[in-house]
Amino acid sequence: MSVVQLKEKLCSLAEAAKLIKNGSRITFGGFTIHNHPMAFIYELIRQGVKDLTIVGFTNGNEVDILVGAGCVKRIETCYVGLEKFGVAPNFRRAVEKGEIEVVEYSEDLAIERFQCSARGDPFIPSRILFGSDIPKYNRDIKEGVSPLDGGKYHAIPPADPEWVIVHTPMGDRYGNALYFPNMQLPMNWDLVMTRTTNKVIVTVEQIIDRERVLRLSHLNMIPRFRNVAIVEAPYGAHPSSYLQLYNFDAEHLTMYARLARDPAEFKKYLDKYVYGVKSHLDYLKLIGVENLMKIRHVGGGL
Amino acid sequence: MNEEPTVYEVMAAAVSHELKDFERWFLGLATGEETILLLSHVPLVGMALAQHTHAPNSVMSVAGWGLNPVLNEMPTLESEIPTTTIHWRCEAHITMSAPFHPFATKRGDVDVGFASAAHVDKYGNCNTVCIGDYHRPKIRLIGPVNQPLHFSCFGREIIIMPHEKRNFVDRVDFISGVGYLDGPEARSRLGFLGSGPVMILTDKAVFDFEPKTKLARLKSLHPGVSLEDTRGNTGYVHNFMPEEVAITPQPTPEELRIIREVIDPRGVLLPR
Repeated sequence: MSVVQLKEKLCSLAEAAKLIKNGSRITFGGFTIHNHPMAFIYELIRQGVKDLTIVGFTNGNEVDILVGAGCVKRIETCYVGLEKFGVAPNFRRAVEKGEIEVVEYSEDLAIERFQCSARGDPFIPSRILFGSDIPKYNRDIKEGVSPLDGGKYHAIPPADPEWVIVHTPMGDRYGNALYFPNMQLPMNWDLVMTRTTNKVIVTVEQIIDRERVLRLSHLNMIPRFRNVAIVEAPYGAHPSSYLQLYNFDAEHLTMYARLARDPAEFKKYLDKYVYGVKSHLDYLKLIGVENLMKIRHVGGGL
Repeated sequence: MNEEPTVYEVMAAAVSHELKDFERWFLGLATGEETILLLSHVPLVGMALAQHTHAPNSVMSVAGWGLNPVLNEMPTLESEIPTTTIHWRCEAHITMSAPFHPFATKRGDVDVGFASAAHVDKYGNCNTVCIGDYHRPKIRLIGPVNQPLHFSCFGREIIIMPHEKRNFVDRVDFISGVGYLDGPEARSRLGFLGSGPVMILTDKAVFDFEPKTKLARLKSLHPGVSLEDTRGNTGYVHNFMPEEVAITPQPTPEELRIIREVIDPRGVLLPR
């Protein structure tokens, strides 16, 4: 038995969220109303972080609540919406008032930007944006000529986030983060995102023993060296779904979409569900056991 | 089967009739309940109907998760990627990780895609980004999503719209999906793989694009819909009237039976 100790990366939500400074360039895992690290996002809002640049892909309620809470300065994305629950009301209002800057990408390019970062490449050469108004308004996209065939293309910049935050089913106190087999969208894209920076924070449904990690090594998709912190947050994606574990909370998202249309009502929502709770455990108590049992999907990861 | 088809069944049949055997079809994300019905459920049933009638060798990719899902077994379809898809039967569970998706979308693998928009203009250009000035929009919409890919690389695009006057404009405020841009030469000038939009399908009518000018043109009215009603609810200012307006073919009794008994026996996809 070795006498040296592995560095423990397990910390509280508050400690992990403190790492994010005002003005950070940050990416959150998930897709529309699925798999977002919501517990972490609530804590960021409680801490009053400002002027974030969100580098996104197909964003949803995680971005809408951050915008509504006044944490966001700029969003690079292809979509902000709530799927069946409609438009993202805070996002829409903020853009219409000119309060935040949006940098438009198409969906395929928004995610390829992360692959580009992970590969360490300087840009993506793309030919699908000609004729669209995306390059007209997104000044980060430049037109170029291929040195190989002389054809015109658009150079799409890499995502290059400083911070990447993802939620996974389990991990150990040293930072290893595991997924269930049969990964679907958006887990695969979350993984790509974790390869784009050395500042990854993982929240997990459950912390498990290192011995179990060694037995489940085929599921260890984010080995500990990638992560700076790991946080235990059961139901940490609520009210988003966590695919294979629990569905989105339809009642909650319906309420959210309704209240977020009115700034005064939305402030009450934030006061109750974000500022009004001291911890993630308090949040879960507020949501209630009955509601959490309604959305759980036991055995989904098998 | 004696019952009259619903408008959604007429629309699904119109989708089916556009599809061919040995094709690859791609269905993406929709926002809002009404759009999900028109843009997800109608094409799903249309694609399945084609597979059950004349296109058994075609393949549908349902967004982020599956190839050729067994639709009649779905418990619900309440999200693009339902929590439990891993347990639903389909021919191949897929991911959207580009290197692993069975469709090489930018090499032209997709024959038909489906899109919707807040506005569609006379050349079939679509807008899902904003209404009004880009920097201070009157209405901010969801964003470009995957429209640039659909409209540049997919073989044919079927645009599905709720038929409201304001949705049909002369020129969109933001082009997220490039139809024929500004005329019949534009797409070859832009070097696109795909041939562009072939149809605007609404809950009242079908539009196609006049071959020479590529201007949207009324092709057929759904059974029971009047020409006056459709003209009055179409905001286009160009002449979109053809020499003769047809009636959108109704689903045959056999098609209706397949929709109601085989594809959607519990009415999960299309209200009826």
